[in-house]
Amino acid sequence: MKVISYKKRVTSALFAGLIGTTALTGAVIAGENDHGPVKMIKVNAKKAELGKRLFFDVRLSGDAAISCATCHQPDKAFTDGLALSKAYPGSKGFRNTPTLMNTAVRKNWFHDGRIGTNLNDVTREMITETYIMNMDMRLMQERIKQDPVYVKMFKDAGYGEPSNGSVRKAIPEYLKTLTSRNSPFDKGTMSASAKRGYEIFNGKAQCASCHTGANFTNDKAYNRGVPENPEIWSDPMRHMTYVAFGLFMGIENIMNIRRDVGAHILTHKADGSDIGKFVTPTLRELKYTAPYMHNGMFKSLFEVVAFYNQGGGDDKNKDPNMKPLGLSFGEQQDLVSFLEALSGDVLNTKAHAWKDKIPTNYETIENWRSVKN
Amino acid sequence: MKNMKKLSTLAAGVLISVVAITAAHAGSKVPPLAPLGDPPIPADNKMSAAKTKLGKMLFWDPRLGGDASTACVTCHEPDQGWGFADAFSRGYPGTVHWRNSQTVINSAYLMKQFWAGSAASNEKQAPSAAKGAVAGNGENDVMEARLAFIPEYRKLFNEVFGTEWPLISDAWKAIAAFERTLIVKDTPVDKYLAGDKKALSKQQVRGMKLFNGKANCIACHNGALATDQKYYNLGVPTAERWNEDGLAQVTYRYEIYAKGVTQEMYRKLKDDPGFYFRTKEKKDMGKFRTAPLRYLKYTAPYMHNGAFWDLTEVVNFYNAGGGQNDFTDGTMSKNKTPILKPLGLSETEVEDLVAFLEGFSGQELKIKAPKLPDYAPLPNPASN
Ligand code: HEC
Ligand code: HEC
Ligand code: HEC
Ligand code: HEC
Repeated sequence: MKVISYKKRVTSALFAGLIGTTALTGAVIAGENDHGPVKMIKVNAKKAELGKRLFFDVRLSGDAAISCATCHQPDKAFTDGLALSKAYPGSKGFRNTPTLMNTAVRKNWFHDGRIGTNLNDVTREMITETYIMNMDMRLMQERIKQDPVYVKMFKDAGYGEPSNGSVRKAIPEYLKTLTSRNSPFDKGTMSASAKRGYEIFNGKAQCASCHTGANFTNDKAYNRGVPENPEIWSDPMRHMTYVAFGLFMGIENIMNIRRDVGAHILTHKADGSDIGKFVTPTLRELKYTAPYMHNGMFKSLFEVVAFYNQGGGDDKNKDPNMKPLGLSFGEQQDLVSFLEALSGDVLNTKAHAWKDKIPTNYETIENWRSVKN
Repeated sequence: MKNMKKLSTLAAGVLISVVAITAAHAGSKVPPLAPLGDPPIPADNKMSAAKTKLGKMLFWDPRLGGDASTACVTCHEPDQGWGFADAFSRGYPGTVHWRNSQTVINSAYLMKQFWAGSAASNEKQAPSAAKGAVAGNGENDVMEARLAFIPEYRKLFNEVFGTEWPLISDAWKAIAAFERTLIVKDTPVDKYLAGDKKALSKQQVRGMKLFNGKANCIACHNGALATDQKYYNLGVPTAERWNEDGLAQVTYRYEIYAKGVTQEMYRKLKDDPGFYFRTKEKKDMGKFRTAPLRYLKYTAPYMHNGAFWDLTEVVNFYNAGGGQNDFTDGTMSKNKTPILKPLGLSETEVEDLVAFLEGFSGQELKIKAPKLPDYAPLPNPASN
C-alpha cells in the first residue's frame, strides 16, 4: 500500500478540490449532492489523544486479547481486510468491518443502522458486545484506573478520575479525527478516466442518488440484492454468533433463518419486505477497505461495479429502482477509477495511530492500604 | 440408596450420644455432628442418568463462558480437590479472582452457596459462575447459541428436557444434577458417627472430643453438614496479595464496585466485606458462611481468601482465638465473633484436632474427563 503524503499542500489542495467539485456537481445534478471534502472536525487534542490510546489497548476487552484496532486497523483505513470480521475469541464475525473514516459525520451506525444516536453509544456497543469485546465496563474502569499513564491522561484531558463514562467520550473524540483528506477527488487531481467516471456516477449510473454528501452516503438502508455470504451458514462459529445476535435482537424464527436480515431488526415489517436492507456505506477510502459490502462478498471494486451494472442481485425485496445500467466495459473502468480517486491519506502515523507500547499488565499500587481506591 | 437407609437408622442411635457430648462440653444447644445422608433433590430438577451425563459434559465445557476458554472444571479441578490450589482462584483470562475457589464436592447440600452465601442452590449458583466477569464472563444468548450448534447436546437436551433447542436454564439444571453426584459422605468420621467405632484412630477420637468440647468448633460446624450455614467474622487476616499484585488490586476494586457499595465505602474498603454485600449492614462486615468440613484434606488452601495453607495453621489460628482484620480491629468495624476465644490447646491437642479434621475427608473423588462433542453446521431447515 502506497502512502501518499501531501501534507504541505493540504489546505490549498482542499480548497481547490472544493471548488472543482462544486463545479462538477453543479454540471451534472444541479447541486443536489454536495460531494465536497469532508470537513475536519475540531477536537480537544488531549481527549482525542487519550481516545487514541484506548482504541489501541487490548485491556479494553474482556480477556485482554483484542483492541478496537485489531479489527479497525489504521493501515487499512480502519478495516481488517477480511470478508467477515474477526470477533472476540470463541466467536467469529458475520459482517464486514466498516471503515471508521468519517464515521463521526454519519447519522447512524452499523450495517443495519441499529444505532442512530451518537458515537458514545456506538463505543459502548463495541466494548460490551459479546462477540466484539465482551467487556464488563466496570472491570474496564478499574483496569484503566490501575494504569498511571491513564490516570494522568484522564486528568490532563479534564475528565478527572478514569471512568467508563469518560472512556465513551474520549474514544469518540479520537474517532472525530479520522477524516478523509487529500484524495485526488478532493484535491482536484483526478485522472481523465476518473473524471469520466464521476459523470457516470452522477448521471447514467445514478449512484449519487444514495451515495450523497461529503461522505458519499445518505445514511439510509436499501436492499441491493447482495448475495448471502455462504460462510456465515456453513461455519458453525459464524452462524452461532449470528444466532446469539438474533436471540438478543429478537429476530423471529432465528434458528431457521439462513440470511442476515439487516435493517429488519429496526423496522420488523411483518411481511419481511424490509429483510436484506443495509445502510449505504461511505465510498471514501475504498482502495484500502476491500472486500466490499456488509458481508464482504465482493473482492474488488470492479466486481461491485459489474454487480451494479447487471442491476444488482436476485432478491424478492430488491429495490425496484435497481435496473441494469448498460455500462460499457470502459465506462465501468471509469467508474472504478472514480471510486479509487475517493481514497486519500492513510492515517497510520503517530498523529492517528498509537505507536508506543501499551502495557498489558498492571502496575502495583505500592502503598495500597493507605491510598484511597 | 439401600445402604443409606441402614446408615440413617444407625445415625439415630449415634445422635443421642453426640447430643450428650455437646450438651456437656459446649453448653449450648446445637445439632451434633451426624453422618451425611443423601443430598436433597429439588422437585423441579429430578435426577436421571442422561441428565447427569449431560451435566458432567457441560461442567467440563469451556464453551459455557465468554471466550470459550474457562469451564467450571478450570477452577474446580478434580485433582485440586475440585477447587483451585491457590489462595485466590485463577480468574477468567486477563483477570485473577478475589476469593479462594471452593470445592464443589458436597455443595449439593448447601442452601447458601459461595463464601458469603449469595446463591441458594446449585441451579442458582451455576449461572453466576458462568457469567461473572472474573469467572466465566459468558452471556446467555451466546452460550445458548453455542449449545445449539453441538449436535450431541441437541440430542441430549432433547432427551432430558424435551426441548427442540437447548435452553441455557436447562444447562444449569443439568450441571446442578451432576454436582449432586459429587458427594463424599463415607468418610471415616461419617462411618464412626454411624456406629463403626474402628473407623477413627484413638488420636482422631480425641480430636473429635476436642472439636465437640474444649475447642468448641461444634458451636458453628455442627449438624450433618458440619456447618450451621450462618455468618461469622473470625478475623481471618486480610489477603497479602492485594498489597503486591496490580492485577489483584484491579479485581478487588471491581468486586466492591460491581457488588454495589456507597461511594465512601468504595474509597475506603481494603478487605473483603463478605456477607455485608448482602445486607449492607456494618455489623455484617467481614462475615463469611461457616465452611463445611468434609473433603478438607484435598482442598488447601483454606478460608475465603486462602489465608492458611494447611490444617495445622487453621487450628493454630483458632487456638489463638482467631485473628484480626479490617472488620475486627476498628479500621472499618468491630465485628469479631465473640464465640472465638483462645483455646489453650497443647501441641498434641492441636495435632489430635488436625487428625480428626483429616478423618472428615474420605477417599479422593476422581472421575474421568468426558469427551466433548464438536460443533457442526446446522442442517438446513425443512422449509425456509
Ligand atoms: C472484533 C472486531 C471488532 C472490534 C474489536 C471492534 N469493532 Fe467496531 N465494528 C466491527 C464490525 C464487524 C462492525 C459492524 C457491525 C455491524 O454492522 O453489525 C463495527 C462497527 C463499528 C462502528 C460503526 C461504523 C459505521 O460506519 O457504521 C464504529 C464507530 C466502531 N465499530 C468503532 C469501534 C470501536 C471504538 C471499537 C473499540 C472500542 C471497535 N469498533 C472494536 C468490528 C469490530
Ligand atoms: C439505492 C441506493 C444506492 C444506489 C443508487 C447505489 N448504491 Fe452503492 N450501496 C448502497 C447500499 C445500501 C450499499 C450496501 C449494500 C450491502 O452492503 O448490502 C452500497 C454499497 C456500495 C459499495 C460497497 C462499499 C463498501 O465499502 O462495501 C460500493 C463500492 C458502491 N455501493 C458503489 C455504488 C455505485 C458505483 C453505484 C452506482 C452504480 C451505487 N453504489 C449506487 C446503496 C446504493
Ligand atoms: C474462574 C474460576 C471459576 C470458574 C470458571 C467457576 N468457578 Fe465456581 N467458584 C470459584 C470461586 C472463586 C468460588 C468462590 C466464589 C465466592 O464465594 O465469591 C466458587 C464457588 C463455587 C461454588 C460454591 C461452593 C460452596 O461451597 O458454596 C459452586 C457450587 C461452584 N463454584 C460451581 C461452579 C460451576 C458449576 C461453574 C461453571 C458453571 C463454576 N463454578 C465456574 C471459581 C470458579
Ligand atoms: C464462630 C463460628 C466458628 C467456630 C467456632 C469455628 N469455625 Fe471454622 N469456620 C467458620 C467460618 C465462618 C469459616 C469460613 C471463614 C472464612 O472463610 O473467612 C470457617 C472455616 C473453617 C475452615 C476452613 C474450611 C475451608 O474449606 O477453607 C476450617 C478447616 C475450620 N473452619 C475448622 C474449624 C475448627 C477446627 C474449629 C474449632 C477449633 C472451628 N472451625 C471453629 C466458623 C467457625
